[in-house]
Amino acid sequence: MESVIAVDNLHIYYDKFLAVRDVTMKIAPQSITALIGPSGCGKSTFLRSLNRMHEVIPKARVDGQVLLNGEDIYGPGVDPVTVRRRIGMVFQRPNPFPTMSIYENVVAGMRLNANRMSKSEADEVVERSLVGANLWDEVKDRLDNPGSGLSGGQQQRLCIARAIAVEPEVLLMDEPCSALDPISTMAIEALMEELKERFAIVIVTHNMQQAARVSERTAFFNIDGPGQPGHIVEMDLTENIFSNPREKATSDYVTGRFG
Amino acid sequence: MNDVRARFHEDLEHIRKQVSTIGAYIVELIPRVTDIMLSSDLQSAEEVIKGDAMIDARVLETEELILKVLALQSPVAGDLREVTSALKIIADMERSADLACNICKAARRIHGYEMDPKLRGLVQKLGDQATKEYRKAVDSFVHRDVMESAALGDIDELLDDLHRQFLQQIIESHAAQAIDLQVAVQLTLVARFYERLGDHAVNLANRVRFIEEGHLPDLHVSHRELEEEVGPATAPDSST
Repeated sequence: MESVIAVDNLHIYYDKFLAVRDVTMKIAPQSITALIGPSGCGKSTFLRSLNRMHEVIPKARVDGQVLLNGEDIYGPGVDPVTVRRRIGMVFQRPNPFPTMSIYENVVAGMRLNANRMSKSEADEVVERSLVGANLWDEVKDRLDNPGSGLSGGQQQRLCIARAIAVEPEVLLMDEPCSALDPISTMAIEALMEELKERFAIVIVTHNMQQAARVSERTAFFNIDGPGQPGHIVEMDLTENIFSNPREKATSDYVTGRFG
Repeated sequence: MNDVRARFHEDLEHIRKQVSTIGAYIVELIPRVTDIMLSSDLQSAEEVIKGDAMIDARVLETEELILKVLALQSPVAGDLREVTSALKIIADMERSADLACNICKAARRIHGYEMDPKLRGLVQKLGDQATKEYRKAVDSFVHRDVMESAALGDIDELLDDLHRQFLQQIIESHAAQAIDLQVAVQLTLVARFYERLGDHAVNLANRVRFIEEGHLPDLHVSHRELEEEVGPATAPDSST
């Protein structure tokens, strides 16, 4: 399988504690990969290790290899900031910069990457990103208003606009809909369907139906017990995971026979 | 708001199209096998029998799509009725295609035997009536026409009457030595196949009502059928 991200024997630690063990997986281009599993199974930790967000926690580290289009993101001399530009992230709670306008929120990532942009360039990025995030029509007449004045669903789409403004290669989403109402959730899911044409998307979700609805591939993470490391039980086409999983543990989880 | 579940709705549309296509095929198949029955065209009979594998494959493909939609999209309300009904409808259609094949097989078995002209006329009528019913049922599915589907149970009584007439004629023709026993046996089966085709058409029509209105088919229909089952079964005893 062709892959944007290839993870090989990745172990993820918080200091001496092994949180996730031995993950090997490939993320396909132009598709959505869902990570599901019970709380504490390490799926969010794993997600954060894909754009070097894990190591912002003191003493956190990883062992193993993560290749982004063939380049090792943990290789010597690789700047984590560059990695995070190439692999964008959207979080559970919409987190627009509260004092910034909608406009400034979208270009924040560009400014952070120290790109000097002319006004017309910035205008173009803002429009393209907001159109891409299906938010343009709703905000085009009030781009100077603060981003925090938008509804939750709109704020989340603003964060997606901010993430895609820098043209990343991969978009990571950590439970992007869990703080949203069902209609906003549907809007984000529809947006993901459009965005996957341009970016590979990896989504962590507690909502199994969401994983089933939106993703092409699903990885099921589990944990054997308290203090044990999380690991991948099974990764397959989403259709197989939800209709005929190979592993009993996967079947128990998706049919609600767990815990 | 634009369609936020576009992929799901595309899948639903695809299921609808598949069911309609299989249905349309059967609507064309019934008059074809009637012609084969009457003309004793063995080559066409062979073609129809071989073509059944194509229908089976299509039904299986549709079933897989339905299972995928159920597993991944959690349809509710009208969508749930539509998807679960499609699962039942394709089973009816698969069986209907088998019945059409069975008619071809019967045509093969009586090849070379003479058939009473009265019986030939009744085979044509049975074929026409079954075709008409199936077409109405498939049309009502395609156009979501509840009125048309509601009428089908009554229309099917005509086919049931023809079925009875046909059985009576077989007995008479055989008694008058106008047909061989082998022909009588095969024609009895053929009569039954047409009658069953009508029942499958009624099932399909009932499903259209369920999809549109949400009420499961009324069971009194099958009670009526049950009474009719008992009727003809005892009649031959009194006549012999």
